Amino acid sequence: MNPTDRDEIVREHDHNHNRDGVDRRGFLKCMAWAGAGALCVMQGGVLTSYSLGETAKKKMNGELSFVQLSDSHMGFNKPANPDVTATLQVALDRIKALQTQPEFLIHTGDVTHLAKPEQFDTVAQMLKGTPGQDIFYVPGEHDMIDDNGKGYLDRFGKNTQGAGWYSFEKKGVHFIGLVNVMDLKAGGLGTLGPEQLEWMEKDVKHLSHSTPIVVFAHIPLWTVYEDWGWGTQDSGQALSYLKKFGSVTVLNGHIHQTMQKVEGNVTFHTACSTAFPQPQPGAAPGPGPMKVPAEQLRTLLGITDVNYVRGKHSLAVIDSNLA
Amino acid sequence: MERQLKRKSLASIMGIVVLVGAGGFIAVRHARADGAKSAEPAAASQVKIDNFTFTAQSITVRVGTEVTWVNRDDIPHTVVSQDGAFKSKALDTDDKFSFKFSQPGTYHYFCSIHPKMTAEVVVK
Repeated sequence: MNPTDRDEIVREHDHNHNRDGVDRRGFLKCMAWAGAGALCVMQGGVLTSYSLGETAKKKMNGELSFVQLSDSHMGFNKPANPDVTATLQVALDRIKALQTQPEFLIHTGDVTHLAKPEQFDTVAQMLKGTPGQDIFYVPGEHDMIDDNGKGYLDRFGKNTQGAGWYSFEKKGVHFIGLVNVMDLKAGGLGTLGPEQLEWMEKDVKHLSHSTPIVVFAHIPLWTVYEDWGWGTQDSGQALSYLKKFGSVTVLNGHIHQTMQKVEGNVTFHTACSTAFPQPQPGAAPGPGPMKVPAEQLRTLLGITDVNYVRGKHSLAVIDSNLA
Repeated sequence: MERQLKRKSLASIMGIVVLVGAGGFIAVRHARADGAKSAEPAAASQVKIDNFTFTAQSITVRVGTEVTWVNRDDIPHTVVSQDGAFKSKALDTDDKFSFKFSQPGTYHYFCSIHPKMTAEVVVK
């Protein structure tokens, strides 16, 4: 968790010559790093992580750089973090301080805690002041509470399809924002549903194999821990449409901790929350907010910065905390 | 016979005394309870939501029972019947939701935010 640890992780990523860019030791280190905010740098199709502390100091060499925010849970006020507005502001200040300014932000859901209009408004207002640019949202299950996503879609759903999914291009990278928190069925995991899957299949059909793909959605698109519902039941179908691409990066939130996994051409990455940490899979009786001493809280919250370098196989993903 | 009668009447007198005593006590308790908060109806049952779990996972109640769910987690949950019989709004910490079961049957329900949370109410 100290800068030295982070340096070592970056070094390990840099020294790893496998196509996947992450070895087991590196992966475990990333796990130990949980809670740090991150910069994702896309380097030749593989996501590489750097701490935001590091990236604030040096300029990233990439064609495209963006930041992932997640799980701001505006409206949460319990002991795990009685002031989620303050920690979101710290995250935004960190973004402003980056040497390489991101071209846009993505927010991977649970923007709010209870989908109340004033909670959406607070986040939208705070993010307006960030450098640049567009903000691309996907909803979390908390943003869908009670009104089936109407409040969310009224604000953030312009130019989206169905329950709020969409795609866009930035500098040759194809981004796909998916919704896997609608119509959840008893006993099940996150769901994309047939209509969205059909749309996605068509959306990527015309793209050339060399197009780098970034998919972002709230609940992980790989099964992190089934007992706690940390997975998406029809994600396999979605990923099957992406097999032809050389570089696929999947960015998720929901589990309030960083995790990374590489499977073939796909790099999966989850981001920290800016609001409160959750326990590692199975480490507690349930996945509720993890109460930690006040001085530790910000070491377990964070953001993720992503940088894409043309011609390399991965994006570099950098998590860094808010301490 | 006479002795037996005497014993019986003595026993009944004692019984009455005990009853009066108990009745008086109950009356006092009721008055106190009414003053503070109305007592829950006898045919009520409660399910707690704790650590992303409905406790108890299965309860059996009589027809006409009102079941109340209370959320003890720091995270909101919902109580949604799989066949559409009942559906709560999001329950934040300590919020409650009640439903009166007037038809017998087995009601499977879940939290629509965290669908791994499932449980049932059996109404007989």
